[in-house]
Amino acid sequence: MATMVHLRGVTKRFGTFDAVRDVSLEVGAGEFLTLLGPSGCGKTTLLRLMAGFEAPTVGTVEIGGQDVTRLPPYRRPVNQVFQSYALFPHLTVAENVGFGLRMQRVAAAEGQARVREALALVSLDGLDARRPHQLSGGQRQRVALARALVCRPKVLLLDEPLSALDAKLRRAMQLELKRLQRQLGITFVFVTHDQEEALTMSDRIAIVHEGRIEQLGTAHEIYHRPATRFAADFVGQANLLEARVLLQDEAQVRVSVTGGLELTVPRAAWPAGAMKALIAMRPEKVHVSRLANPAAAPAAAATNLFEARIEEEIFQGATDQLVIVTATGTRLSVVVANESAYGEIFHAGDHVSCALHADDLVVVPAE
Amino acid sequence: MKLTRFLLPALLALFTVTNPARAGEELNLFGWSEYIPQGVLDGFTKETGIKVNFETYASNEELLSKLVAGGGSYDLIQPSDYTAEVMIRQKLLSPLDLAQLPNLKNLAPEFRHLDHDPDGRYTVPYMSGTVGIVVNTERVKTPIKGYRDVFTPAFKDRIVVLADPRELVTWAMFTEKLPINHVTPESLARVRPVVAEWVKLIKVFDSDSPKTALLNGDVDVGVVWSGEAAILWNENRKFQYILPAEGVPQFVDVLAIPATAQNKAAAHQLINYLLRPDVSRQISAAFPYTNPNAEARKLLTPEQLANPASYPPGHPKLTTFHDIGKAAADIDRLVTDLKSAR
Amino acid sequence: MKSAPDRRTPRWRAWLLLTPMIAWLVLFVVAPTAILLVYSFCERDEVGRVVFTFSLENYRRVFDPIYLRIFARSVGYAGLTTVICILAGYPVAYCIGRAREEWRHRLLLLLMVPCWTSFLIRTYAWITILKEEGLLNGLIRLVAPTATGFDLMYTPTAVVIGLVYAYLPFMILPIYGSVEKLDGALIEAAHDLGAGPLRVFSSVIIPLTLPGIAAGTLLVFVPAVGMFAITDLMGGARVPLIGNVIQNQFLVARDWPFGAALGAVFMGLFALTYWILLRLGAREEDPA
Repeated sequence: MATMVHLRGVTKRFGTFDAVRDVSLEVGAGEFLTLLGPSGCGKTTLLRLMAGFEAPTVGTVEIGGQDVTRLPPYRRPVNQVFQSYALFPHLTVAENVGFGLRMQRVAAAEGQARVREALALVSLDGLDARRPHQLSGGQRQRVALARALVCRPKVLLLDEPLSALDAKLRRAMQLELKRLQRQLGITFVFVTHDQEEALTMSDRIAIVHEGRIEQLGTAHEIYHRPATRFAADFVGQANLLEARVLLQDEAQVRVSVTGGLELTVPRAAWPAGAMKALIAMRPEKVHVSRLANPAAAPAAAATNLFEARIEEEIFQGATDQLVIVTATGTRLSVVVANESAYGEIFHAGDHVSCALHADDLVVVPAE
Repeated sequence: MKLTRFLLPALLALFTVTNPARAGEELNLFGWSEYIPQGVLDGFTKETGIKVNFETYASNEELLSKLVAGGGSYDLIQPSDYTAEVMIRQKLLSPLDLAQLPNLKNLAPEFRHLDHDPDGRYTVPYMSGTVGIVVNTERVKTPIKGYRDVFTPAFKDRIVVLADPRELVTWAMFTEKLPINHVTPESLARVRPVVAEWVKLIKVFDSDSPKTALLNGDVDVGVVWSGEAAILWNENRKFQYILPAEGVPQFVDVLAIPATAQNKAAAHQLINYLLRPDVSRQISAAFPYTNPNAEARKLLTPEQLANPASYPPGHPKLTTFHDIGKAAADIDRLVTDLKSAR
Repeated sequence: MKSAPDRRTPRWRAWLLLTPMIAWLVLFVVAPTAILLVYSFCERDEVGRVVFTFSLENYRRVFDPIYLRIFARSVGYAGLTTVICILAGYPVAYCIGRAREEWRHRLLLLLMVPCWTSFLIRTYAWITILKEEGLLNGLIRLVAPTATGFDLMYTPTAVVIGLVYAYLPFMILPIYGSVEKLDGALIEAAHDLGAGPLRVFSSVIIPLTLPGIAAGTLLVFVPAVGMFAITDLMGGARVPLIGNVIQNQFLVARDWPFGAALGAVFMGLFALTYWILLRLGAREEDPA
């Protein structure tokens, strides 16, 4: 996969504050890369460095093999979808979408055809003559998208484009964006603080934290193998437990975690020579069943078995979140499918048995 | 508390100006700005106990419009001669009780019976002046005798004149030897080309302070009020005052009591006070126009009397304005037209 | 309806609250305008008293070529003043509007400070600068002793300088208002879509600040047409503008009805300008 965006050792300093610290990043052609992180982590600054709104203090930016570090935004083969959409209020939908083409002095006839095409692409046919203030939030979002795509950029930059939409519309747009990206084969760099959004859409995710890229990988890797405590905590839910080695042999490590629960971890997952580490336990990996119903016990392959009492039950629609406490006093959050119509029902105070596959435990080196 | 402290005096002031009920102790004077020293009025109050409420105007027209519009009630006013003439004809003035004005005897005889009020029954001369030529002799070396010497291409854009259409047209009539108080379409047609030429040469039109342009060096000659010329002469002897050979407009500003006055007794008292030589001398010191008060002139310093703008040497022939009625509008239109044609 | 009395109470109170404003409007706007209109159809007598007869004579005189020419010249001066105010004021307003928050107020204050002094005094200050033996020529002679200097005082140039100086803040403030409201993301979006600085300015910034320019134009053009003090003081009253003519009718020529007719026609022009600009503004401004 050819490299489309290449940041080399980029640092951006505002006054005495380093918004971006020595970041190197390669984005492949046709890739959907998400910069994921909390607000203020530097992800938007990274995007602005690619767009050209900021110049790096140190380092270079290449797009499509060309060094664009010193090029202004209007000379870069990229386009951006802004968080606020930034539609021109004095122009109609068609004029907004055609703006970039006019700036590039594309012939009028061709421009009109491309505008029509772009509006059809985002299912906005027939709204050409409207002004932005006459559109709904979702429609404005599509206009912003069409306005950027019509320029046929090498890279499309998206700065939290869905954050202003309601949950349902947001989910629909996520799928639509993904579809568009596949269809057009354009490189997308997408900025969000919403981990679910990142997991749904991205080919790869870069976790950005305090101006650095904390982990770069596929959604799977990020979710199942978080490399740092921050990554484990930020993406998805996790029970983060301090673990201390009790016993170890060639195949396994026996550890005691916060609260006294003992768990077995594969030897290969444990950092060599370490006596302490952090264990991240995803809530849905813990299989819970009633003591009274041993037939429903989990697969025999599970290496960690323990009993616990349900302290709290939180109904979440498709799932139930349970807070359980083990006999030793380790408190865990677990999620079970809500199969109330025909399956098990859990209540606070119930005693349950829990099974946890050793390979589902994520070990993060202690910092 | 604070509010009332500010508001109360303001309200009282308003009350005293408009309410004639307290006329026994107050006098409402409506006079020219820059013409009556405040010290003189203070002296009057000190002597008689009569409080003087002094309002000012900048033109006869302002005086007339305020008086006829009934905006205020005034006890004593100060019109120019030709305005007083109209006011007498329109019965806007109250006849004077000459018995209450013993100081009338101080006036020079030539000011006792003026054209606008031949019997002296309505008005008392306050100050008199002329309109003439001021020359900056440092810049102008050629001799200047009359209007024709001023309005020549040599002085293009070096001239200031009064922004008064009647004056401008009158000067042109002098040069054409036309009667200045008999304005007809024919006489206006005669002077039109003259004024047209002049307007092209003039740099500044200013009635309020024509001396400014001369002092600033923006112009070298001017046709201005004698009082302005007298101040210029006091400032710097390079400013010479010349009475135009073709004819000199003279104005006499007079004191008069409106027919609507509430406190005529106090008005008479103030007129008589202003006619006192020692008081009149103070006025001359502040505003060096021609003082019609012969007794006061005796008290002036030789230097004051030597000011050629205040007391021109010899006995020049002076001409006073008379009211020309609606012809004033024709003059206004003529001058506006010529000015805007530039 | 049951709730009718409840609803009436606030309405009654609203009227009560509006009373001072309505009284102000009637007293200082409606009544003088009505008087002006009535006078404009009257005649004058010998001493200038208004005689209440019905006559169209004054309006006939307004359309005399003399006054039309003066009118046209006044519009020309005001138009030139407006254009210069836009050209000079826009960059200032833009810089203040895009300056950092804490600087904006200081810069605005600097703009307002001169207005704390009387307008006439500031005009006299210009006379001190422009007069032949004034500061400007003094400075020129200091640098180049042989130079003749400028003869600016009492020229049309001086009038335009005075007008621009007097009205510049009234152009800057409304433009500043619309620049400040301008969303920075729109400028970035335009850059992003390939517009260089000039194109961004002409295709985005200008159209979006047009309401400010329109408001500034109104605030500058209309009073500039009627200005008379500056033409008298700095222009030497050589070339009469419509404001001088009107002032003259009231204070010198003692022809109030004619002055009123001039004023009424003048007001009609204002209303027309305002209406046109309002229409333009309504078309350009985004109501959202």
